[in-house]
Amino acid sequence: MATAVKSQTAAISTAKPTRNKLKRFWNNKTLLIMCIPAILFFIVFAYLPMPGLYLAFINYNYSDGIFKSDFVGLKNFQFLVQTGDLWRLTFNTVAYNIAFILLGNILQIVVAIFLNELRVKWFKKVSQTLMFLPHFISAVLIGLIAYNVLSYDYGLLNSILESLGYDPLKTYSNPVLWPFIIILTFLWQSTGYGSIVYFAAIMGLDNEIVEAAEIDGANAFQRIRYIILPWLKPTFIILLLFSLGGILKGNFGLFFNLVGANNTALYASTDIIETYVFRSLMTNFNFSMGSAVSLYQSVFGFIVVITANWLVRKTSPENSLF
Amino acid sequence: MSKFKKVTALLMATTMLFGLTACSGNNNGNNGSASTNTGTKTNDGGTTTGTDEGNGVDTSKFVKISYVVLGDKPKNGQFEKVMEKVNVIMKEKINAELEWKWVEWADWQTKYNLLLASGEAIDLITIGTDWLDTWGNAQRGAFMNLDELLPKYAPETFKSIPEEDWAQSKYNGKIVLIPENDYTQWVNHGFFYRGDWAKEAGLTEPIKNWEEIGQYLQYVKDNKEGVIPWDAASGAQTWGGYVQSNTDNLELPISTGFLPVFAAKSFDEKYTVTSPIFEDTFLNYATMMKEWGDKGFWREDALNNKNDNRVALKAGLSGMDQHHTQTFSGLRVEMDREQPGSDLQMFPFARTRGTNLMELSITHGGTSVGAHSKNPERALMAYDLIRNNEEVYHLLNYGLEGVQYEIKDGKRARPAGYNEADDNFYSDFWGGRVDKFEIPSETTWDQIEETYYAEYDKIKKPYVYGQFVFDKTPVEAELTAVSQVAGELGPAITFGKAGDPAKAVEEFRNKLKTAGYDKVLAELQKQMDAYKAQMGE
Repeated sequence: MATAVKSQTAAISTAKPTRNKLKRFWNNKTLLIMCIPAILFFIVFAYLPMPGLYLAFINYNYSDGIFKSDFVGLKNFQFLVQTGDLWRLTFNTVAYNIAFILLGNILQIVVAIFLNELRVKWFKKVSQTLMFLPHFISAVLIGLIAYNVLSYDYGLLNSILESLGYDPLKTYSNPVLWPFIIILTFLWQSTGYGSIVYFAAIMGLDNEIVEAAEIDGANAFQRIRYIILPWLKPTFIILLLFSLGGILKGNFGLFFNLVGANNTALYASTDIIETYVFRSLMTNFNFSMGSAVSLYQSVFGFIVVITANWLVRKTSPENSLF
Repeated sequence: MSKFKKVTALLMATTMLFGLTACSGNNNGNNGSASTNTGTKTNDGGTTTGTDEGNGVDTSKFVKISYVVLGDKPKNGQFEKVMEKVNVIMKEKINAELEWKWVEWADWQTKYNLLLASGEAIDLITIGTDWLDTWGNAQRGAFMNLDELLPKYAPETFKSIPEEDWAQSKYNGKIVLIPENDYTQWVNHGFFYRGDWAKEAGLTEPIKNWEEIGQYLQYVKDNKEGVIPWDAASGAQTWGGYVQSNTDNLELPISTGFLPVFAAKSFDEKYTVTSPIFEDTFLNYATMMKEWGDKGFWREDALNNKNDNRVALKAGLSGMDQHHTQTFSGLRVEMDREQPGSDLQMFPFARTRGTNLMELSITHGGTSVGAHSKNPERALMAYDLIRNNEEVYHLLNYGLEGVQYEIKDGKRARPAGYNEADDNFYSDFWGGRVDKFEIPSETTWDQIEETYYAEYDKIKKPYVYGQFVFDKTPVEAELTAVSQVAGELGPAITFGKAGDPAKAVEEFRNKLKTAGYDKVLAELQKQMDAYKAQMGE
């Protein structure tokens, strides 16, 4: 009898997990089906092309194809180190991205909170739409607009400066100005879009908590400081972790179009890995070297994400990604 | 309401029906081409199946042959009309249809190389060893070897090109391209300036050096309100021209990106590789460009300027342009029309010293067969017709007689009622034009031969690097790095925006050194020595 019970419980404990898992799948089938497009997307665009990274280690020959071309080891990575530009480029790319991520997220949170505090409905809608619009303007157009504003001979900025009696500004030959121009443009373009995510998170906050706080006498600042900000922390951390993975991936469209393909006078402060690679590969058209750079970026990004996640797990485990 | 529903249902049913028929139509087409592919695949194997008649070529299967050219696809429908005529002949003679594929000018370099890299089945493709990186692409295995195919499938072309010209068409001992060896053109560069303004500036003789160009630009700056002396756009490159004007150095067929870093010493020492960058020439150039930039000969933002300088010139808003003689001969006629009395002149860079003008390489233009072509035989047969059949040649190059041109006094003239927008025709066929079929046109300047061509004929030297193919493999990383440096510092120096010229030049040289300049130079010299031995000197 006792043994029978024992064997029965043993049977249950072995059978249970698989049955439970299946059941969990079944129970969540709608959610899983909704995930299929995303899963497919990543399989097609992220996992299937992975063998192509092998390109980085070969001397690619069109008629032989990828897997029959000569293996050359790390030779394709050599040109990155050759000019000694690698560290400058990595620094520029990372520094810009840190500025983008930090300033961008902070501004987005601020805007989301403002939107939340606004009580006039039409004003809220209008400002939301207006801030959202720049997201739809292509980088090419932004480059063109910037040129028309900043151009020395005919630009809007210099016309204004001259009419006020100041000296015109030689924007396109002054590298010092460019970090500001680029970061401002980025913020202008991305804030509206990014704030929607935070705004949605705030919307998910149970109104009763806020009301209870109000009854207890919390003013607007206290509400923000003690309720909304902590509430946004997980969203912030997740978005941060996501963007950290791409910290070595520059915003090519923005840089290329704002600075121009040939304005070498500005490279000291505007050259990032993407633009550098674009220049060197467009003249030599070497796929293997291009793949080498993308592999470098991916490996670097991978390490950054793992490290950041590890740090998050140490400090607040419930917010880490995995 | 229900009536409305019925009507919509009916409408949807009809559209679906149309959709279905359209789909099945496409399918039929696909099936057709698929079967031709399998049909010719047997030919690929070497064993020619089917009828062996006459020249032993099987043309029983109808195939489509593509020809890749560079240029913007014409939009006025004239091209299709001409192509229809061409294809009547093609169908009759070789049972094939010729189809033009355009690589449009926007980002042409990328698109052209990508097309070759994609492994797409390209039949015929325009090449150019000095501007389309043909040797680089041959090294990457983009083209088919033609040694065996040519005598059989393009016999007329094969016979008409002499042995020494075929020798310039070989990569690793194998013919990979058909050269445009029988066509006269000059693509040496120079500045185009307005003769009327030069006279006002006191430059009554033709300009023969850069200092006089400087005087001319200064005059325009001071006296022509609203005109930018040279409205140069970002990417304009003058270093090569400066070298040609002020040294005996010869250009080598090796690309180092934005500006040429390597050159041969002189025509007498043509196998000695050197670099004018490391001589005073470069400092003089940088100093002069700084001076020109400071004087405002071009826009302050020239590095970001994307305006079309030629349009500005024609509108009278720019005083100068820079391109080659072939462009000049057409532009002169246009300028006489748009700016009467402008008396456009060209200062060819080679004029200053008269020592380093080489004839054009015969592989500046040409045609290759793509490595993955499914019908290389028929492609070559089509090429043989384009190049050797006068009717096809005239159709493809000039369009329809009576619509695009009529012969007047032995020249091609515009027919009455010709309208540029509606009737304009071009095919951008630069892959094997021949002098014997050319008819002079009234749109090229009629004095070009007695003036510029005559001047060039006095100083020209034969092209000597036709068989030199630089194998980049041993220095691939260094060459990429050197090109990178050239692209990074070159443009700013070219427009005088790099600050103190002496410092900029010093920085440029140092960076070249770290990038591996010496290693590339040594490798280049090594291969040049081998070439010298090969040429028997």
